[in-house]
Amino acid sequence: MEDAPKRICLGVITGAHGIGGAVRIKCFTSVARDIGKFGPLSDADGARIFELRVQSDTPKGLIARIGGVDDRNQAEALKGTELYVARGALPDADEDEFYYTDLIGLAAYGTDGNKLGVVKTMNNFGAGEVMEIELETGGSVMIPFTKSAVPLVDLAAARIVADPPSGLMPAPKKEKSASKKRPKRKRQSE
Amino acid sequence: MSRSVWKGPFVDGYLLKKSEVAREAGRNDVIKTWSRRSTILPQFVGLTYGVYNGIKFIPVLVTENMVGHRFGEFSPTRQYSGHTGDRKGKRE
Repeated sequence: MEDAPKRICLGVITGAHGIGGAVRIKCFTSVARDIGKFGPLSDADGARIFELRVQSDTPKGLIARIGGVDDRNQAEALKGTELYVARGALPDADEDEFYYTDLIGLAAYGTDGNKLGVVKTMNNFGAGEVMEIELETGGSVMIPFTKSAVPLVDLAAARIVADPPSGLMPAPKKEKSASKKRPKRKRQSE
Repeated sequence: MSRSVWKGPFVDGYLLKKSEVAREAGRNDVIKTWSRRSTILPQFVGLTYGVYNGIKFIPVLVTENMVGHRFGEFSPTRQYSGHTGDRKGKRE
């Protein structure tokens, strides 16, 4: 049995705007106005299709009109609806460029072939891309997403090979010796 | 009020020493630091630091345009979890 095609959440309707049926949308795209560029959006189970027409970009979110929604009551009923698009609708990434959604969940192996864990998140805090790997041994490690630290990304095989720079991997936990434990003092009865 | 120029940029002494040792050794090890307050100096460019955010060490590869900023600026202390959307990352 084949898996259902992967879908990506690009935004969520946060409320109605005005009385004409416009909606306010919180966007998760890198450029807010791009939310309508990837074709028609659908709700979480894919039952309803939304044709989006972006009107303006405000500090409270994007203002857009949805086909078939003509008054405020209809717009308010959509509050909380997440807007999804099929992964295939996103344009192809350049060479050595990867969508975060493709990387998250990949199995991470060390250069020696042992499994390290699973890719948990991708972030960019202003000093380059950072990949967080949830380790099999517990805890997580953050490594720079560079060719030296991540020499191989194989999306087809759903695996990456990671070579974390020395000093980043957490040290194995030491077991506390029982002998150092101070014995409990007995309470003297009066 | 900004810091007086005559004082020069603030850097913790131990971090300066660690950086010099790493630079001379020529290895690409991560220099772990808890000094989020230290200013990034031109001699740190090209080195990788692990800047502590209270929970873990965030790898920070220092580039030229980070000079003058503090290490803490690149290691947020609050967790944000959102949808990935159409965000992409380039493997440098």
